[in-house]
Amino acid sequence: MFEQIVLLAILRLGDDAYAIPMRQEIEERTGRSVARGALYTALERLEAKQFVVSRMSAPLPERGGRSRRYYAVTPAGLDAIKSARHSLLQLWQGLEGTLER
Amino acid sequence: MALGHGPRAEGILGDLFEEHAAHAQRSPARAAMWYWMQAVRLSGRALATGMVHRRRARDVPHLPAPRGDVFMRTIGLEIRHACRAILQRPALSAVLILTLALALGANAAIFSMIDALVLRPYTMPDVDRIVLLSHTRDDSIDRRETVSPADFLDWKKQADVFERLAAYEWWDANLVGRDEPERVAGFFVSADFLPAIGVQPALGRNFTKEEETVGAHRRVILSHGLWQRRFAGDPALVGRTVQIDGAQYEVIGIAPKNFDFPLGAEIWGALAFNAETAANRRSRYLTVIGRLAPGRTLEDAKAQMAVINERLTADHPDTNRGFNARVYTLAQGMLDVGLGPILSLWQASAIFVLLIAGANVANLLLARGAERQREMAVRLAIGASRIRIVRELLIESTIVSLASVPVALAIAWVSLDALRNSMPAKVVRFVAGWNELNVDLRLFAFTAALAFVTAMVFGLVPAIQSARPRLSESLKDGGRSTTGGSRVRLRRALVIAEMALALPLLVASGLSALSVHRFLNGPQGYNPDGVLSMSIVLGDGAYPDEGARRRFAQDLVANMREIPGVQVAAAVNIPPAVGSNSSRQIEIDGRPNPDPANPPSVAYRVATPGIFDTLGIPIRTGRSFTDADREGAQPVAVVSESLAKRYWPNEDPIGRRIKVGTGQYMTVIGVCGDIIHDWFISRNVPTLYRPFAQAPVGYMAALVRTSGDPASIAPDARRAIRAVDPAQPVFDVLTLRTLLYERTLGLRYAAAIMSIFGTLALMLAIVGVYGVMAYFVTQRTHEIGVRMALGATARDVVRLTVGQAGRLTAIGVGLGLLLSFALGRLIEAGLLGAATSDVRLTAALAAVLILAALAAGYIPARRAAAIDPVVALRAE
Repeated sequence: MFEQIVLLAILRLGDDAYAIPMRQEIEERTGRSVARGALYTALERLEAKQFVVSRMSAPLPERGGRSRRYYAVTPAGLDAIKSARHSLLQLWQGLEGTLER
Repeated sequence: MALGHGPRAEGILGDLFEEHAAHAQRSPARAAMWYWMQAVRLSGRALATGMVHRRRARDVPHLPAPRGDVFMRTIGLEIRHACRAILQRPALSAVLILTLALALGANAAIFSMIDALVLRPYTMPDVDRIVLLSHTRDDSIDRRETVSPADFLDWKKQADVFERLAAYEWWDANLVGRDEPERVAGFFVSADFLPAIGVQPALGRNFTKEEETVGAHRRVILSHGLWQRRFAGDPALVGRTVQIDGAQYEVIGIAPKNFDFPLGAEIWGALAFNAETAANRRSRYLTVIGRLAPGRTLEDAKAQMAVINERLTADHPDTNRGFNARVYTLAQGMLDVGLGPILSLWQASAIFVLLIAGANVANLLLARGAERQREMAVRLAIGASRIRIVRELLIESTIVSLASVPVALAIAWVSLDALRNSMPAKVVRFVAGWNELNVDLRLFAFTAALAFVTAMVFGLVPAIQSARPRLSESLKDGGRSTTGGSRVRLRRALVIAEMALALPLLVASGLSALSVHRFLNGPQGYNPDGVLSMSIVLGDGAYPDEGARRRFAQDLVANMREIPGVQVAAAVNIPPAVGSNSSRQIEIDGRPNPDPANPPSVAYRVATPGIFDTLGIPIRTGRSFTDADREGAQPVAVVSESLAKRYWPNEDPIGRRIKVGTGQYMTVIGVCGDIIHDWFISRNVPTLYRPFAQAPVGYMAALVRTSGDPASIAPDARRAIRAVDPAQPVFDVLTLRTLLYERTLGLRYAAAIMSIFGTLALMLAIVGVYGVMAYFVTQRTHEIGVRMALGATARDVVRLTVGQAGRLTAIGVGLGLLLSFALGRLIEAGLLGAATSDVRLTAALAAVLILAALAAGYIPARRAAAIDPVVALRAE
């Protein structure tokens, strides 16, 4: 589930998808705080599954001369999130009434 | 750091940097705190999860790297798991580590002292080939006696197990050099002394056999330190003469740097015998050391010396009967008799502290085990083996205890440093190995081993307990642990044990503190205030006969009386509280000794007439000495009350006669009060005083009583002595108060160290009680809720909880009292009789322990009383 959230955050952030805004985005949207370590671990896993790719930016002065690691969702990642959404929606179907009550 | 290198680390570090910068813009202080928190958290996580390791296997993220054999992989995994479990409860782990570190640190410090002072005090090459030979009496085998010249020469002639056999004798050398005369610590040694130890002079040569005869013996070897200090390291000194004890001595060599055996010696002279001394079997004043011949063992030496001793006893029964010849290793033979008992007392205390700490650790682990009951139940239910769980818990406690080793060594290092620096140089001289006190590899190995054993011993039971949860109950949702069961019984037993161990330590520390206080402030039998003491040793060269010594003492006292502010002055062979003693065997007129071989012995003081006024010792009956009690007049003596009581009970001692050794009978003219000569000599030592003029000696303390501050007249007093003899050195110029204070140094050390142990024990025991009671309250929240719902008041709840603590404490203290009496003996031995068991003190300390334990139980009790029954019941 968390991996899906991270994938969605990357998609929402587009070109600006590196760890700091990702955490902010998730915290703002879901209202839950995210452990830094959990995020890095999830990103590593996603990269291992080849759902995301990362690239290093040019070194930046505000980072003490270090690069940012930007993430982007791969087509496989996109497929995965789509199918996940599809499955979820299938499950949601017909339940609106029950849940609204 | 923990993240290693590479783009991944760079990404994370960059993120941290960027966030830090953002924080810093708002508040720099907060940013710094944030930074450290992140750093600690990240490195902890990296350690726990072995990120560094896993990153290399990133390509196959969900499978552990298939390298190494299965066992090692499992252990590695378990270690990682254990680290994670430890880091999950940082507060608990910190308490565990600190508790263990305190106890291990205390043990490490004491071990280091024993190692340096007892096991390896000497650092010479081949030290285990060097032996010490001594006489012991049949009736006190532990007391090593020095050896007579004739016996030494016979041993040397007859024994072939030794490559070298050498003797030495104490020598207080009065060295007159280019400036002030100085007393130098020296020894007369035979020519074989340096070869026996395996030392070569750094400059010049060793003594020769020819120099062992009187007449050819005025040769000395100087220590490197003395040579540098007094002679500016002048190499041309070798071959020249220096003036010592009023005679000319040729310097034949300089000892190697740092060589100061025995007892911080700075000068070595040739030990010489003439025909008369060489035949003397009665005066035992030589210390004998030897080097074992190649291929011969200590056992060979012991056996051969036993045979030789038997032969000598048969040949000279009147002098040698009742003596055994013993052979010791150097470290064993030179060991101060007082050091062993006191170090074993400390080691016993340190082990007690470790046991208490271990009990605490076991307690905390049990508590944690209870919390993790569910986790263990789940793991067992899905197929983990009990062995594996026990192993993992043991690994956990081992890691915790090993983590405490560096902290413990730091504690040991700090305390050893404090010990070393607080010991005055003149005491250090007598403690071989003191300067070697340090944290070294041996200490590290000892501490690590001790930590490992502690972890195994105190981790095993909690681990087994944890691996045995009641499955069905623990797995039930909201299943609550019950109060009964072996786990709780075990925790109570541990607290009782802690109490039982803490009390004896408290009593021991209380006793030592009390005895120091008593000794320093209690009645001494004399008045130590307002008196200045100066030590003088007259050399045989300048003061060869009794007449010269008598004149010196007379002039000395007369000169010192002239000093403004001085009320009275006197000279005495041994002043109080100096740590040396002089005693003589006596015979009472008309009452032959029942055992002629073993005549009674009394403390022996030779003093000028003013001694009783100067020290403020009261004369009970009769009179004090006067100037009329001079050489040639009727020999007289003053005896102490205890002597009078022992030898003339219910009789008037005045006019009775008493004899010292083979001397003349002396008439008792007065009885004076008893004084405490030294802290380890108990009170009321029978003491005999003689007028200095009738028995002059070559060593004395000049004492002056002043109306003002005694320290302020020291320069005048030195001048007064110089006016008698400008070449005569004076040393230990101190007030009697200071002397008394310095003399108790060892006792104060003992008391301070014991107090540290006592405080540690009290603290740890209290933490133990608190832990158990807090756990008790948490576990019984539901029950307490029910009780309160059924009408129990807050007071009832407090009583229930405090009552529990009280019962545990009562049992613990009861057992502790029993142990205290047992340990009391060790304390008495360790403090050489300065402390005796004290019922009131023991009772008071038991009360302190009980009150502290009840207070520790009261805090959780208050919490229990504040439980809202509704909340407690709903928590179900």
